[in-house]
Amino acid sequence: MQIEQKSWKDPVLIATVAPLAIVMVVFFLTPLLMTAVRTSQTTQYYRLSWTWNLKIWTEVFSKPHYWTIMLRTVGMAVVCVLLCVLIAYPAAYAMATRLKTYKTQIQILIIFAFLTDAVLKTFGWILILDKNGVANWLLMHVGFPPEMLNLLFSPAGTMIGMVYNLVTYPMFTIYLSLVRIDRDLVLAAYDAGASRLRTFFEVTLPLSRPGLYSGAVLVFVLSLGAFLEPRVLGGGTSPLASELIRQSFETRVNWPLGAALTLVLIAIGALTLAVSVALTMRRRPNQGSAA
Amino acid sequence: MVGPIIDAADIVKDYGSARALHGVSLEVGAGEFLALVGPSGCGKTTLLKILAGFEEPTGGRLEIQGKDMRGVPAANRPTRMVFQKLALFPHKTVAENIGFPLKLQKVEKSESDSRVRAMLDLMHLKPEYLDRYPAQLSGGEQQRVALARALVSQPGVLLLDEPMSALDAKLKKSLQAELKKLHREIGTSFVLVTHDLEEAMMLADRICVMRSGHVVQIGTPADIYYRPANMFVAGFIGETNFLPVTATKTAAGATVTSALIPGASAEIPAEHVSPALSAAGTALLVRPESTRFVKGDATSGEWVLDGEVEEYFIKGASTQYRIRVAGLPAAVVMDLPGSIVLPARVGEKVRVGFQPAHAFLLSE
Repeated sequence: MQIEQKSWKDPVLIATVAPLAIVMVVFFLTPLLMTAVRTSQTTQYYRLSWTWNLKIWTEVFSKPHYWTIMLRTVGMAVVCVLLCVLIAYPAAYAMATRLKTYKTQIQILIIFAFLTDAVLKTFGWILILDKNGVANWLLMHVGFPPEMLNLLFSPAGTMIGMVYNLVTYPMFTIYLSLVRIDRDLVLAAYDAGASRLRTFFEVTLPLSRPGLYSGAVLVFVLSLGAFLEPRVLGGGTSPLASELIRQSFETRVNWPLGAALTLVLIAIGALTLAVSVALTMRRRPNQGSAA
Repeated sequence: MVGPIIDAADIVKDYGSARALHGVSLEVGAGEFLALVGPSGCGKTTLLKILAGFEEPTGGRLEIQGKDMRGVPAANRPTRMVFQKLALFPHKTVAENIGFPLKLQKVEKSESDSRVRAMLDLMHLKPEYLDRYPAQLSGGEQQRVALARALVSQPGVLLLDEPMSALDAKLKKSLQAELKKLHREIGTSFVLVTHDLEEAMMLADRICVMRSGHVVQIGTPADIYYRPANMFVAGFIGETNFLPVTATKTAAGATVTSALIPGASAEIPAEHVSPALSAAGTALLVRPESTRFVKGDATSGEWVLDGEVEEYFIKGASTQYRIRVAGLPAAVVMDLPGSIVLPARVGEKVRVGFQPAHAFLLSE
């Protein structure tokens, strides 16, 4: 195939690229820029005034309260990523290697669960996690003391909801990279004298890294913005960044603060991703695709 | 000679209700180069996988180096495999790929490095390749890395699963020559699976021809070519002619007559009669190179068929003719030495002669 060298002034090229470019500019760059501009304004008597100062940034950086919440958000996101990957990997592995016969049925079930509205599912967890809910009832009936679990309206409850709503992403990304691994590579490792466990760590795990990383990134980014779970299952006892931002905008009608916190959250997310990408890419530069 | 390095007896393999191998028995001597040949689906790859330990046989006995291999996983067998698609680890460098079996054996780093180097020299790979990834090498180089990885731990048997089927013709030829040289140099037993009987004849000491889960014939390349067990084996290598005949066994061999040549009968010596001769579908195997055009009188004992030239192909050193003969289902193929003046043109009436006593008598 020949790669065509085209001038950026080529009308056909412009016509094909333009729609996406416009969408990105109008719906992504402009709001982001507007958010950045907002931070330099002030609100008085519930009205925005067009002042140009950086007062709000001094407030953001001087109040530890905001940073506690930001740190908690990142911490929750990291724990959520770890839990999701730990749950998703074995499930994806089983789907890719052991349950081939039922894999379509399993995938359909997972997709159904995934497509069910997140609000419904999250409220569903209340029934299970409630003090008099299904979980405690079951535990009591197998001999544990009554009301043993008290997970609802705690960070643990939030975490359960987040993991439940997000675990599907890494499950599919990991599954996709696992099924792409040539079975012969596994046989070749056995043939060279490797045990099953050794083969997993020498061949399967390294080759499924792309799926593992992309799943982890998806979960991390989405859990930074988790909003529903801390409200419904966390009960507002330990708010996360999204709740703080909502409060700034809605309750306190302090738009500049909300905008600044939004930018802080985006920056934290982007920075974490940049660092993790740098760390994982450094290991193996210029490695070609599988032969 | 010490006992065989591989001793397989009555190997049966079922996949569900389908039987892939019907009691295959095979011996491979130490240092021998054996080729498993057959059309696709004949069970040759299944047999190789059973030898390697990737598949468990449903029945039968398998011993490698005198040890029963039942329940022994691939990792603990003295066999190493070169895969059809090579199966080099894409995330490991050439050095890591070749050194992988040594790493698993916990060979000391310095010794492992020197053995990887030695393999690199043996395979004529450049030392700067050590830090490259398989995807950065050419097809032929990847092939050598795969061979190096399989041989670095000095296995008792090297199993090769059509490793050259994906290469272009020229590269294939040079790698075949290298493989044969390698086998002579290191003295390891090789078992090569291939669907290409020509490749098998070039490389192997012995050939095992398989068909739908049965071994049809095991023998030296000369045996397979000149003394094929049946028409299947004979037809597997190149183009040949089969002349249907009626045969009666005699003390000295067999007497044959053909409906196409009334009144003629010929004595076939015993060494030209297939040991597996049966009554059904007996035929004379006439190699294209042992035919000639008869202009004038036939020599004594020669059988002559009347026909018409259907097509000819000039191959340089030889010219191939296809002659349509009334009463024969397929055209008679003749390989004649090349000449400046063509002996016959398309449509010309010709007489094809051959010595039945030099032909080989076999059955379906």
